[in-house]
Amino acid sequence: MEAALTPDFLTLPAAPAPLTQLRRTLSADALKLRRTAALRLTLLSGLFPVLIAFLIFFFKGDIIMKAGGSPWPRFIMAAWQTAGTLLLPLFVVLLTSLVVNVETKATAWKHLYAQPVGRGAVFGSKLLLLLVLNAVALLLFVALLLGAGFLLAVVRPKLGFQLHAVPLTPVLWMLGRTYVATLGLLAVQYIVSLLWRSFVVPVGVGMGAVVATIALLSWEHVDKIPYAAPLGTSASLKMTKAGVLETAHELAKHEWYSLGWFAGALLLGYLVLYRRNVTN
Amino acid sequence: MNSASLPLLETRGLDFRFGSRPILHEVNLRVEPGSIYGFLGPNGAGKSTTMRLLLGLLRPAAGSIHLFGHDMARHRVALLNQVGALIENPSLYDHLSGRENVEATRRLRGVPAHRTAEVLALVGLTDNAHRAAREYSLGMRQRLGLAIALLSDPDLLLLDEPTNGLDPSGIIEMRELLTRLRQEHGKTIVVSSHLINEIEKVATHVGVIQQGRLVFQGSLPDLQRLQTGRARLVLETEDADRCRNLLPRLLAGATVPAAGTLWLPWLNKEHSAEVAAALIAAGQPLYGLRLEQPSLEDTFLHLTEVKELV
Repeated sequence: MEAALTPDFLTLPAAPAPLTQLRRTLSADALKLRRTAALRLTLLSGLFPVLIAFLIFFFKGDIIMKAGGSPWPRFIMAAWQTAGTLLLPLFVVLLTSLVVNVETKATAWKHLYAQPVGRGAVFGSKLLLLLVLNAVALLLFVALLLGAGFLLAVVRPKLGFQLHAVPLTPVLWMLGRTYVATLGLLAVQYIVSLLWRSFVVPVGVGMGAVVATIALLSWEHVDKIPYAAPLGTSASLKMTKAGVLETAHELAKHEWYSLGWFAGALLLGYLVLYRRNVTN
Repeated sequence: MNSASLPLLETRGLDFRFGSRPILHEVNLRVEPGSIYGFLGPNGAGKSTTMRLLLGLLRPAAGSIHLFGHDMARHRVALLNQVGALIENPSLYDHLSGRENVEATRRLRGVPAHRTAEVLALVGLTDNAHRAAREYSLGMRQRLGLAIALLSDPDLLLLDEPTNGLDPSGIIEMRELLTRLRQEHGKTIVVSSHLINEIEKVATHVGVIQQGRLVFQGSLPDLQRLQTGRARLVLETEDADRCRNLLPRLLAGATVPAAGTLWLPWLNKEHSAEVAAALIAAGQPLYGLRLEQPSLEDTFLHLTEVKELV
């Protein structure tokens, strides 16, 4: 038996290519998402702000639309501001904590890092997963929002949803910019979750930061805080006097800051995590 | 040990510290291909730390680890392809079924799909594979962990306390499985434990660690030979202290574990006869005289106690 073992253990086994490692890790991570709270949160979170806007228009739409015109701008603004102010930052905080907690709860970090995939693949795969889930949640929110408008056209035809075109261009710009606005806090929360490896710490830090940001809204540097970015983007959605929905077709300053936080937090976090000993 | 053959796993001067607290000191492990290496030591001696170092989970303060003749620090990912591990409690996702748990690691390692059913059958979990892992008993969890470690058909298995929390029949099952893996599948297995009785029935080689130092390493027969040098003569009499005073030359090296008992290091038959004759000549009663071989457990305890006195 030893004679049979000697020749092949002298040749170094081949390491999978970095992209292969990432693909394998991502495939495993997607499987682990089954039946998790993270997945349910992603699929259902968009429902709440849309439902609130729907109910407001269903019961009080005639008062809001007394002046006439297209109901779409007011409806979209109502839902987007509900979502962007508090719900979206809290969603990102919860999502990152839940996704990372899948491994923490299973005490699986020691197992994960003992597999033939590099730490970069483990780090990158979870990050990609978070970016996709975040995008899915936002897309679902927009789809539900427009769907609710069409539903109102049927159940409340007096409001006039069926008579006016959907302002798709500003909605798509808002979708893209809101996504960018969440990236900074997503990265910060991801690193906090990885560094502390508990569920309570990142949720506590995140909620504290969101609440503190709201208290600091009048501060001149609030645009530099990543937790304030989704709020800033929501507030940038405006309606002109003519009743047209408007938003800037470029990234605002706070969205660039968000991207900066995203890059900075990931780089710094990865450097710290890369060399760290795995003790749990 | 055959020093001519290349070890499958080797550590050279391995040092590790947590902050300023030293955990391992100059550990030189040597694991021969095709062996079951029992890695023994009391809790807190550094077994888990060593296992984690072997997997690259921790970074050594000094020294190096060589798997299959290659440096672990330089080729970690490539070498881990050939290693299956079970560290402390198995890492199981409770919200997934047994099969999905295996499947997650199978995807991660890029192992062919048919292996999932194979390893589940190997550990006898096929019938329970559809159940959620949270419903598994401790023994089933341990077996599922082992199935996951076996996925890539690795040449080397690192098992940290695999019988922890298992009932006696679970321990016997695990023992049989390890023996089968070595004999039928040619695996090299490093298995840590704090109980020698668990190891002596499966291990071919033994390493004993105490307070971060390797105090013994060799084949199981080597360990057994070590204990023959520690056989003792047990004398039962009326008053052990009085006997020692009466026969200072013969009983100088004796210890008195109880009022009527004397322990003497065993030298040879003639010495035993001489002691017996001298006792009777001195007018002391001799109720019993026997040769006692320490068990492997005594040897192990002795090995792990010595360093504490230093």
